[in-house]
Amino acid sequence: MRRFILNSSLLLGLLCNYQPAAAQKAAALKPPISFGDVSAADFGPNPTPVAADSAAEAEVLCDYGQSRIVGATEKFQVVFDRTTRIHILRKAGYDWATVRVPLYVDDDQREKLSNLKGFTYNMVGGKVEKTKLDPSSGVFSEKIDKNHVLYSFTLPNVKEGSVVEFTYTITSDFLFNLQDWQFQHRIPTRWSEYRVALPAFFRYKEITHGYLPFAAQDQTWVPYSTGYHQNQQTGYGSVNTGPTQTTSISTQALAQRWVLQNAPAFREEPFMAAAQDYMRSVHFELAGSDFTGHDFRDLSHTWEKIGVALLADERFGAVLNQNSPLTTEAKALRTRLPDARARAEAVLRLVQQHVKYNGQERLYTSQPTRKTYEQHQGNSADVNLLLLQTLRAADLTANPVLLSTRSHGRIVTDMPLLSQFNYTIAHVVLPDGELLLDATEPLLPMEMLPERCLNEQGRLLTTTGAWVPLTSKRNYLEYTKADFKLDDTGTLRGTMRQGYSGYAGLAARQQVFSQGESSYKTQLGRRWTDWQLTTPPTLLELEDPSKAFAVDVAMTLPGPETPANTLYLPLMQAVGLNNNPFRHADRFFPVDFSTTRELTQVVSLALPARYTVQEKPADLQLALPGNAGKFLYHVAQPTPDRLEITSRLQLTKTSYSPAEYAALREFYSRAIAKHAEMLVLQRQ
Amino acid sequence: MRYSFLFCQAAVLSASLLLTSTAWAAPAPKYSVSDLSASLRENAHGVVRAYDETLLVKSVSRTVSTVHRAITILDGAGADWAQLMVPYDQLNSINYLRGAVYDADGRLIRSLRASDVKDYGLSDGFSLATDNRGRLATLQQSAYPYTVEFDYEITSDNSLFYSTWEPQDEPQLAVEHATFRVLTPAALPLRYQERHLPQGVQAAHSQQGGQEVYQWEVKALAAMEREPDGPPLRELVPMVVTAPAAFEVQGHAGSAASWQQLGQWSYELNRGRDVLPDDLRARVAALVKDEKDERVRIRKVYEFLQANTRYISVQLGLGGWQTFPASAVSTNGYGDCKALSNYGMALLQAAGITGYCALVRADAPDIHTEFPSSQFNHVILCVPLAQTKTAKADTVWLECTSQTAPFGYMGSFTGNRHALLLTPQGGKLVRTPTYGVRENRRERLADVYLDAQGKATAAVRTAYTGLEQDRLSAMLDGLDPAQQKKYITESLTLNNFSITKFNLTANRQQALPMVTEKLDLMLPTFASVSGKRLFLAPNLLSRLPAVAAPVGGRQSDVWLSHAYTYADTVRIHVPAGLQPENLPASVQLTTVFGTYSAQLHTLPDGTLQYVRQLQMLRTRFAKAEYPAYVEFRRKISAADKAQIVLLKTDA
Repeated sequence: MRRFILNSSLLLGLLCNYQPAAAQKAAALKPPISFGDVSAADFGPNPTPVAADSAAEAEVLCDYGQSRIVGATEKFQVVFDRTTRIHILRKAGYDWATVRVPLYVDDDQREKLSNLKGFTYNMVGGKVEKTKLDPSSGVFSEKIDKNHVLYSFTLPNVKEGSVVEFTYTITSDFLFNLQDWQFQHRIPTRWSEYRVALPAFFRYKEITHGYLPFAAQDQTWVPYSTGYHQNQQTGYGSVNTGPTQTTSISTQALAQRWVLQNAPAFREEPFMAAAQDYMRSVHFELAGSDFTGHDFRDLSHTWEKIGVALLADERFGAVLNQNSPLTTEAKALRTRLPDARARAEAVLRLVQQHVKYNGQERLYTSQPTRKTYEQHQGNSADVNLLLLQTLRAADLTANPVLLSTRSHGRIVTDMPLLSQFNYTIAHVVLPDGELLLDATEPLLPMEMLPERCLNEQGRLLTTTGAWVPLTSKRNYLEYTKADFKLDDTGTLRGTMRQGYSGYAGLAARQQVFSQGESSYKTQLGRRWTDWQLTTPPTLLELEDPSKAFAVDVAMTLPGPETPANTLYLPLMQAVGLNNNPFRHADRFFPVDFSTTRELTQVVSLALPARYTVQEKPADLQLALPGNAGKFLYHVAQPTPDRLEITSRLQLTKTSYSPAEYAALREFYSRAIAKHAEMLVLQRQ
Repeated sequence: MRYSFLFCQAAVLSASLLLTSTAWAAPAPKYSVSDLSASLRENAHGVVRAYDETLLVKSVSRTVSTVHRAITILDGAGADWAQLMVPYDQLNSINYLRGAVYDADGRLIRSLRASDVKDYGLSDGFSLATDNRGRLATLQQSAYPYTVEFDYEITSDNSLFYSTWEPQDEPQLAVEHATFRVLTPAALPLRYQERHLPQGVQAAHSQQGGQEVYQWEVKALAAMEREPDGPPLRELVPMVVTAPAAFEVQGHAGSAASWQQLGQWSYELNRGRDVLPDDLRARVAALVKDEKDERVRIRKVYEFLQANTRYISVQLGLGGWQTFPASAVSTNGYGDCKALSNYGMALLQAAGITGYCALVRADAPDIHTEFPSSQFNHVILCVPLAQTKTAKADTVWLECTSQTAPFGYMGSFTGNRHALLLTPQGGKLVRTPTYGVRENRRERLADVYLDAQGKATAAVRTAYTGLEQDRLSAMLDGLDPAQQKKYITESLTLNNFSITKFNLTANRQQALPMVTEKLDLMLPTFASVSGKRLFLAPNLLSRLPAVAAPVGGRQSDVWLSHAYTYADTVRIHVPAGLQPENLPASVQLTTVFGTYSAQLHTLPDGTLQYVRQLQMLRTRFAKAEYPAYVEFRRKISAADKAQIVLLKTDA
């Protein structure tokens, strides 16, 4: 996350008389918790419990945070105070008595922890006994890397039934983002409250995520004053390190408050893109400063402004103005490939060949593209800004698109905040259309984006800026075709081709490359325990992502050990659906896929003359309400010795609401039941 | 390895080098891929071109190890080997770390720069504090193949550990050439053990300037693959394990020449740290005052420990091997495995009972007992019980880091292995409890109510004991009921079902812990309907999958490590209007690997009763017998899938 500090000391003199128009008096609101004020009531059960949480391991009784901005020496700082009280209910909840506080450090700016205090309260013989956290033996700090320090502490004497309480302050030089606040946890939370007091000369935008309604959400103007310290100038700009001069600033501050009450334990579900989209939280970003009341310095007020600022940033836009380290190669492509689309593809392959993506989803480059090129690796911005440079060097109209990956959460378009983005791809204008390119996945065909990018829409950074859709034209497609032949003894023999295209092709290829071809084949051989593979599997079109990837196998299913007159054939067993992906009966959040899906199986069976079909599965058609999914199953017998089964399951939406879940689960359940049906043959 | 519960010191520590500065100046191509023989590339994602390690014993308290390692990465599955993490801590420092990467022709692409190496705190995720850090160098490339080369040197002030030379430490990694040299003063003789060295390879011993020199060399080791039910790779690949006789850590001198001596060192290091405050001693004495039975007294002390402490890991410097004083645990109510076991020992003392701390290698293969050396990662408590008039001599084992572990039960974490008892007379190697076919049981009774459309409901009651209950027991302690249900839903081997009711209960009072699981299920597609027939497999939840026949022949012996007995009874209540057309035949299999039987009977009221028994033994056998084992498993799998065919009589 990007953080910076505003150098505003020159504007200070103007501040003292500034009063916002909306200023009004407001009564100070009592804090919801007072550190050390633990009573017998804190050991009692929740008066308004959530049924599903009756056996929770622990419960947050109160979690209270406040952020305010104060003057410091030649700068402003954010002071964040947190006081938290947790009731440990079961031994499994002991981990909640250990707290980890990560702090950020960047060159000479830092976050600092102070005022750490903690107590454990135990009810002993009807009396509350307390044990103090010893800062000399129970608090540890560890430098994780050059930007992160981790403070860890654990409270003493924790038992089942203990109430633990801790408080600390973080003083931060990073004004750009205030501390976020997360209102929900994996355990139930009775009361979570966050307050911020922001002086009128700083304006922040905030964004809230989540489903549960706030119990309170209010804002009011309150009087504000702080001291700002200036180093004394001793002439000609040299700074005296001795005494400082303190200026008192008085103005109004916008006091905001959010309260979430009785939040149940938050639980993740399968097929959920980003849990944080559903968990209550609030985030901030500095929008601008105004030290006079009529001199608003806008930092990120609109998407357009965000775009302009980013294009000027040395780790983003400035990079685009530098020459690509692949300029020579790109120039050669100009003459060799006059067709723009072919040239764009060649540039994409060039960058893919030169650089390996290190798995870090980032909006900003971590190093000059020259270094990315030399080291042959980088984060997503390193890779794709090199791609953009090179596309431009190849004389193509290419611009960055900012996006939020699926695991990072959905973009809220009416909240222009830079921190909503965490990833950059390239947009190319062609004579006959446009293209979105991402060079992080060498196994992807040109017209596809990695699955992580398929998250509604992205922000195209041109001089005007625009939203571009990030839905894929390609879907997840599996196509299996099998030809079986039954012999007189009841043994089935045949071949099967499993085809994977679109995102299924990407997933299958990724699997092959991550585990190696031979391991993949070995694993394939273990997939069917009843069927035996008669030759090793063959992989087709593994190297060419523009084509469907396929696996060919030859297999046999031995007949009954003693000859039987009635033969039951599980014809779709090796080919079809056999597992309901929606295992859980309940659903609280939407099911979220990145693409639509289509699974097709076509099976043909040749029968020997002495067998006749006695019973065959009936045809079936299913549809989800609103045409959100279709299942079709059809058995044909064009000649007495031949059967053709066709099955197709389609999910035509990428998101299914919790209300649709039961139908979706039942839909799969019926399709699986159909595939489990046997073919009954009679021997003459 | 530190005794810190699950904590394992990264294996890279055993690494080293022979670096000459000319290696960096010489522009001549090296490690060209075309020089590699085809047999080394076969089934490999990478080939170790060189792995040269030198262990220099400087003194009784200091060693220096240098490693030169070059690996050709053949494809993406080997990309991890282009990264190197060199760990260090308060007792181990990195003198240098260098690297370079070469293209397929062996031409230098670039050298590692200091700014490319990242320094990380290696938080293990469960410790509150550790001093483990690591330097990470990454030389991954986008085009394969390529070769990475690393050189590093570590000075260690922890001579409890010497190097383990294991050039082929990963599956699907071949080795072209590797050497190991140890230089030690004559006064500090080397102890070493050679394992699985190729025919003809052995130590070359010489003297050189007053030093004893040992040398090993291996060439052309083909890549190995891990096979199902095979031994761990470490039991197959060549390695030389070294250890000190005399050693000294932070002024604490000892010897690892025998288990007795190694145990003595550990005992002395922790001696006198078991003093409890007087009021606590009095409290414990009062707790057991009226109890005569020794075992019950121990149980009361153990339950006190479980109720008043929890596991918190702090591993700093010598603190990896030396416990916090018992008084600190009594003040804070927490400690790591050393501290909690030591505290438990002190509590027992206060109750007039003698217990011993014991070192063990938890959650990993057992130690090599024939080579005394520091191979442990955990500490438990052992209480010998003398023979009495009514009971024979016995031992109570206590896991002190768990607040919920059943009294006297070790489980899969520390059971079935060796432990080093730390006594005033030194170390004594003993066995922890064994859990075998009689102890590890799963007994299941299911009533399935079928309807004519193929839907069913089922009521299933399963009792798990011994190692079979470990997983459910951990779940019962660690997860709330909603999470337990989610976990069970994800682990059931059914394709299409809903859990309508569920309940888990633990019984930890008896000698062997037991968990009972009750499940009510809805099975919308229990039977598959085709026209007038219903097909259903009576084996509802206990199908054992077949094992794959080996492709191209079995390479390694077979190690079956888990012994158990499963008994299943499934009663299928068939509605009126359905008659069996075809019932699976009885199956009875008796082999050296285990026994299996399955029968189906029709009860007088028309209920179909399926009874299955499976007993698997803990056993090891030669690879030649693998096909017989595959056949045994195939027959079980076939029998487990056998289907009942019911015919609609009214249709």
